[in-house]
Amino acid sequence: MTGAPPDARILPYSRVVGQGELKLALELNHVLPRIGGVLMAGPRGTAKSTLVRAFALMAHGELPVTLPINATDDRVLGGWELDALIRGEARPQPGLLEDAADKGLLYVDEVNLLDDHLVDIILDVVSTGVLSVQREGLAAARTLSFGLVGTMNPEEGGLRPQLLDRFGLMVTAEQLDENARYRLIRTVLDFEEELERKDSGWLAAARRDDAELRQRLETARRRVPEVGVPDEVLRLCGRAADRTEAVGQRGEIVATLAARALAALEGADRVAPEHVLRVLPMALRHRRPETTHGGTFDWGPEDQARVEDLFGA
Amino acid sequence: MAAPLPRRTADDPARRLTHALVCAAAEPALSGVLLLDLEPRLLDPVTRLFTALLTGTTDRPPAPLVLGAAGRDEDLWARTELRREEHGLSFRTAPGPLVAAAGQPGPPPLVVVPDLPRLSVAGMRAAVQLVGADVTVVERTGVRRTIRPRARWLALCRSADAGRLSRHLLDRFAVRLPVPGLTLPPVEPLLAALPPAWRAAAVRGVPPVPVTDEALTRVHELLGGEAGVRRRLALARLARTLAALDGAPSADAGHCDAAARVIGLPVPDAPRPGPVPAPDGDPGPPAGGTPRTVPARRPARDAPPRPAGDRALLETGPAEGIGGAPGGSPAGSGTPFPEDEASGPPDATPLRSPGRRTSGPALARGPVIGTRRATDLRDLAYVRTVREAAVHQRVRGTDRFTVSPADLHSNIRAGAPERVLVLLLDHTCRGGDWDWQDALTPFLQWAYTSRATVHVVEVGAADTAEELRAQSFAARSVLDPQVLAALYRRAGRATPLAHGIELAAQTLRRTFRQHGTGPAEAWLVVVTDGRGNIPLRASHTGRLTGEVAAAGVEDTVEAAARIGAMDRTRLHVAVVDPAREPYGDLPFVLADSLGATVVEGRTEPGAPVDGEPRSGPPRTPGGERGH
Repeated sequence: MTGAPPDARILPYSRVVGQGELKLALELNHVLPRIGGVLMAGPRGTAKSTLVRAFALMAHGELPVTLPINATDDRVLGGWELDALIRGEARPQPGLLEDAADKGLLYVDEVNLLDDHLVDIILDVVSTGVLSVQREGLAAARTLSFGLVGTMNPEEGGLRPQLLDRFGLMVTAEQLDENARYRLIRTVLDFEEELERKDSGWLAAARRDDAELRQRLETARRRVPEVGVPDEVLRLCGRAADRTEAVGQRGEIVATLAARALAALEGADRVAPEHVLRVLPMALRHRRPETTHGGTFDWGPEDQARVEDLFGA
Repeated sequence: MAAPLPRRTADDPARRLTHALVCAAAEPALSGVLLLDLEPRLLDPVTRLFTALLTGTTDRPPAPLVLGAAGRDEDLWARTELRREEHGLSFRTAPGPLVAAAGQPGPPPLVVVPDLPRLSVAGMRAAVQLVGADVTVVERTGVRRTIRPRARWLALCRSADAGRLSRHLLDRFAVRLPVPGLTLPPVEPLLAALPPAWRAAAVRGVPPVPVTDEALTRVHELLGGEAGVRRRLALARLARTLAALDGAPSADAGHCDAAARVIGLPVPDAPRPGPVPAPDGDPGPPAGGTPRTVPARRPARDAPPRPAGDRALLETGPAEGIGGAPGGSPAGSGTPFPEDEASGPPDATPLRSPGRRTSGPALARGPVIGTRRATDLRDLAYVRTVREAAVHQRVRGTDRFTVSPADLHSNIRAGAPERVLVLLLDHTCRGGDWDWQDALTPFLQWAYTSRATVHVVEVGAADTAEELRAQSFAARSVLDPQVLAALYRRAGRATPLAHGIELAAQTLRRTFRQHGTGPAEAWLVVVTDGRGNIPLRASHTGRLTGEVAAAGVEDTVEAAARIGAMDRTRLHVAVVDPAREPYGDLPFVLADSLGATVVEGRTEPGAPVDGEPRSGPPRTPGGERGH
């Protein structure tokens, strides 16, 4: 991950208004990285990018490893340090994929605008788990894995189904109601004002809240292996994936993992059906046939009705 | 205390513009300025005015960075300096012009976009990544940075073109004002008319002042309930900056009105509510509770002023800021949000000069797929060049690392398609007494001679795996055997035409938006009788439920409208009409929605439909007439 520039102004995570589902998905992925990442879709101005950066600063104290949409392939795959080469030194420079494997996460802002050849590179690596570089005098292969976190505005185009499936969870940004919009604007303006103050109590309180949340997440991370997953839950996940005609088997696996992370986060000893019900939209919405064929990302009442009777709701 | 805000003259367009530029210079969160309908001849004086405000001087101003249709990522994000030295060439890489000033002292640089719709894809992406951003990450060969952008952006756009632009891009410009018919006095008197404190603030910035609840309520009233968070924040920040420039202790509703006038937003004369207590049941602040430092700020009681039932009606009309209102709108100015009035969806292809590319060795765009020995200094592959030089350093025995001309290598780039043919084939309209071969021949010939890539979208084939959905594939050229096979499939029963049109739109959008500068020319050719019998939802879900009725046709026309809204400087659309009855007018309805030319599929010349003569099949695609 990369340190924030000294004058970066990222709203503290605990002060981001609304977007509960986006936050929950990021937190679940942090608690159990095997979930495999999060895709966030939503209209412009819904704080998607802010949320990802704020989360990384809260959870890791630094910005996430970020793949910009116009990165060059040597920066993605790895290459030589150019300045060192000019000095006559051969110093390999790890690419973003290796950085991401070390930190566990690769963040792609505007992921649906990523150039095709970069998408191909990422798909090659995440599907095989091997980064093989045979270029520019480099010959190396490394086994690696990382979670993908992407943000996108669907107005600007969709994602290939193969890439869509590589995101463990998918969430859509909610449209804030009038009151929440008001609080969001108030919070942002207050934050900008407080940044100018020395010893701001506002910022100190936000940092304290961030630290408390980080502590809670770390506790949950430690607890995950102890959380039991009853067979009933496994069957529920399988049936729910069947009802939604989810493409492939990744949906039910991710649903199980996410439910387990949620149970750990809530301090439960065993995964309960209500944990599953809560994470199903995140795990299955982008694996439904209608989504993979270009339809909406929304999880509507019809989708909910298809799975709810499994839970006796 | 600074001089008071001159509200009495705030309706003067030149003064409004000057105030907007002062605010953009003083407040980094207002870094993007979009001027609507500015006469092009005024770009230079406005640029000089903005530069003078940013630097505090009119003497020897730094040249702004001008972005146009030809900007490439390679030129914008990283810069390579080549120098000839005693033992050969030396060079170094450094951050490019867009990011070089980040973290450096001195005034922020100015980026000027003379015509936003004609900005290259690389330029538009750069704007999305930089304008108003908290953080931007650069990962280019030799340049790796995480920065907070400082540059100010000045972009021009005609209101009529705004609807075609990406909302995502437009939204980044926080300060937007229509200035049609602007008369701009010389720069010096404009600067002299500003209070000294304003000019100083433009250079040094101003610390933000508190924004009252009354002001936020006013922002809501001025913009309307449907306005997004970014617009509201922009207006509130503009009001806050005006208040700070004014020397006021806080920004109130009056400053919001002043800010609205600056950007040309109508200011109604409604009575202003004072600060009001929080509504009952207020869910309170985000996690952590309201900070104790700002206990007085609460959400206003009338924050959601409209009953929910009103919203559906409002969504179909202009969203905000439309219409005259007493007391505000400057004469002759339009709305700062013209895209809200646009009838169609935004364009997938910005209006700009085609980025011409050849498939020969001079190819300078497209993804890098290798390197070769350079014959000139264009598009050098730096890592390869330096590695080559490194091999020979010992032999050369020079004191310093040197690069000789023999070391130079340049990039080999993938030949991204210059021309694209998207062929939508409705197999259910072929057969019997008609074949589409003659009608399609000119298009296939064009694709062959221009080395176009071909995307085929098929609907209604008998042997398809999923008859409710369209299928598509891409071929490197028209000679691909898949293309020939696709032309002669048996017809099935289902015609998911709406889904086919949607797939074609996605293909075009992807082609133009995600491939560097996009192709120079694309043709979409739709061969159909227009009788789609599968609703779009059925194609998406894979389930056909209930009566179909006309839903398949209606969905088709609706999907076609999205293509109809695309830019026509590089995209041409044709509908081949097989002249099938009944419903022989459906291809024409579809063509209307697509904005397409109709090509007569049958050979009988001049056969009229509904009394209207049809255009004949063209000898070349470029020779068609509009419908």
